[in-house]
Amino acid sequence: MLFNSFEFFIFLPIVFVLYWFVLNKKLSIQNVLLLVASYVFYGWWDIRFLSLIMLSTILDYYVGLKIHSTEEPKKRKHWLWLSMGFNLGLLGFFKYFNFFVDSWISAFNSIGIEMDPFALNIILPVGISFYTFQTMSYSLDIHKRKLEPTKNFVAFATFVAFFPQLVAGPIERASNLLPQFLQRRKFNNKLAVDGLRQMLWGLFKKVIIADNCAPYVNDIFADYSTQSSGTLILGVIIFAFQIYADFSGYTDIAIGTARLFGFDFKRNFNFPYFSRNISEFWKRWHISLSSWLNDYVFTPLAINFRNYKKQGIFAALFLTFLISGLWHGAGWTFIIWGGLHGLYYIPVIFSKKRFTSISTNKSGSNKQEFAFSDIPKMILTFLMVCLTYIFFRAASVADALGYIKIIFTEIPYWPSGVPYKSILFIIILMTAEWFQRGKEHGLQFNEDTKVPLALRWTIYISLLLLILVFSGQQQQFIYFQF
Amino acid sequence: MSNYITEFETLFRDVLENEDIVLTPETIASDIEEWDSINHIYLVVEIEKHFGIKFSSSEILQWQNVGEMIDSVKAHKEN
Repeated sequence: MLFNSFEFFIFLPIVFVLYWFVLNKKLSIQNVLLLVASYVFYGWWDIRFLSLIMLSTILDYYVGLKIHSTEEPKKRKHWLWLSMGFNLGLLGFFKYFNFFVDSWISAFNSIGIEMDPFALNIILPVGISFYTFQTMSYSLDIHKRKLEPTKNFVAFATFVAFFPQLVAGPIERASNLLPQFLQRRKFNNKLAVDGLRQMLWGLFKKVIIADNCAPYVNDIFADYSTQSSGTLILGVIIFAFQIYADFSGYTDIAIGTARLFGFDFKRNFNFPYFSRNISEFWKRWHISLSSWLNDYVFTPLAINFRNYKKQGIFAALFLTFLISGLWHGAGWTFIIWGGLHGLYYIPVIFSKKRFTSISTNKSGSNKQEFAFSDIPKMILTFLMVCLTYIFFRAASVADALGYIKIIFTEIPYWPSGVPYKSILFIIILMTAEWFQRGKEHGLQFNEDTKVPLALRWTIYISLLLLILVFSGQQQQFIYFQF
Repeated sequence: MSNYITEFETLFRDVLENEDIVLTPETIASDIEEWDSINHIYLVVEIEKHFGIKFSSSEILQWQNVGEMIDSVKAHKEN
């Protein structure tokens, strides 16, 4: 079920009413309702793949208890490996099987050994990269003794499958989300209203910005070789806003929906395009993934490489970004995308004494306020990120290189077919976010900001009208494919 | 504990280049702005050097706060 679909528009109020007004007597029944609702939400796409979520849930529930039940390091490790092996195995088979087989065959072909192309028709189950990461972190945290396993199976299953975040995150940690399933939720009017605002903002980003940008970007990338340099530059810049609006819009709807049910998700985006350097960008973009990779990939690697000083840290970081690339998709374009981000850290790591991480635990605060004078640095960072997006979006590495070649070898004349309407919406988005940069989302009104009621409602109604009048043709969320 | 805390404080101030850092056993990474994941590795290296010990990887990954880091150092020093 898509957030921006008619089905969801019906589904959400039904679950909401049942949750707060009908089945609100017992916590365990509320949890069962959320679990059933989540499975319906997922089963709407493909009921077959529900079994994978259930398997992953049962396994990690059991592994968590087993790890906790023994003090023997060897046994603890064996149980952990079972969880890792199973989850990575699932991912490996459904997401990477064909990629590795293809790469293998072309490697043999390139050294003169002919092999027949062989590929299975494997469909990627939606959300698999998200929920496997979530269940793995549960077992990893118990192994690290940072978390106690739960004995409440329904609560755990709902934590894994909770519909607002099941298919495209945020990748929640058990330490934050699981306890929320174990205690009574109270309806908080303020939180719920703020949740609705965030959902409206997310919907605006998705259907007005992302969906309107998509056709322009698709045309340019599909036929880049006939385009001028200026058009290609504009194409990737528009894509940058498309993917941001698409993914952060999804996150906004997810966080807002969770709030309606009394749940608090961690923040996933913190105005990333205002970042002044690449490490700040990674503290602000898809925070739940970067902090996951930071805790479970970068830190263990860097600890093992620590005697190699800066080279060791860079190696750990570079590998982490390659893995991040591979997480996004089984293809060399994504690996190069990750690798470029890794390379961008060279000046960060090798020039200064003080370093900044690829992740943050401090996502909630905006200690360093952005200033107007930071804008040149922001633009530079944004353009560096745009360069990597060419690989991210292109169909193949050869296409990405061709695209870049035209940009850098031809004179950038004024682009053709400029999507002025989309650009206007992007300007509205960025202006709103600039003024709201100290807040959690673009449409948050705290009590301290005195926005008159009339103005607030004018904004809501204008956004709704915009959504009704200008929404682009429905597109799937980009991150569903990962 | 108090001796270790002072020694830790000196190391932290040095590595994180912030003279205002004050540590308690309960201090966690998010309390100190400069204490991020890359700096964490440098802190580990400096602590090992300073006390002449070598932590195991799993030990490092289990730390939750400064107090647990100090417990680890103590355990190594006493063995």
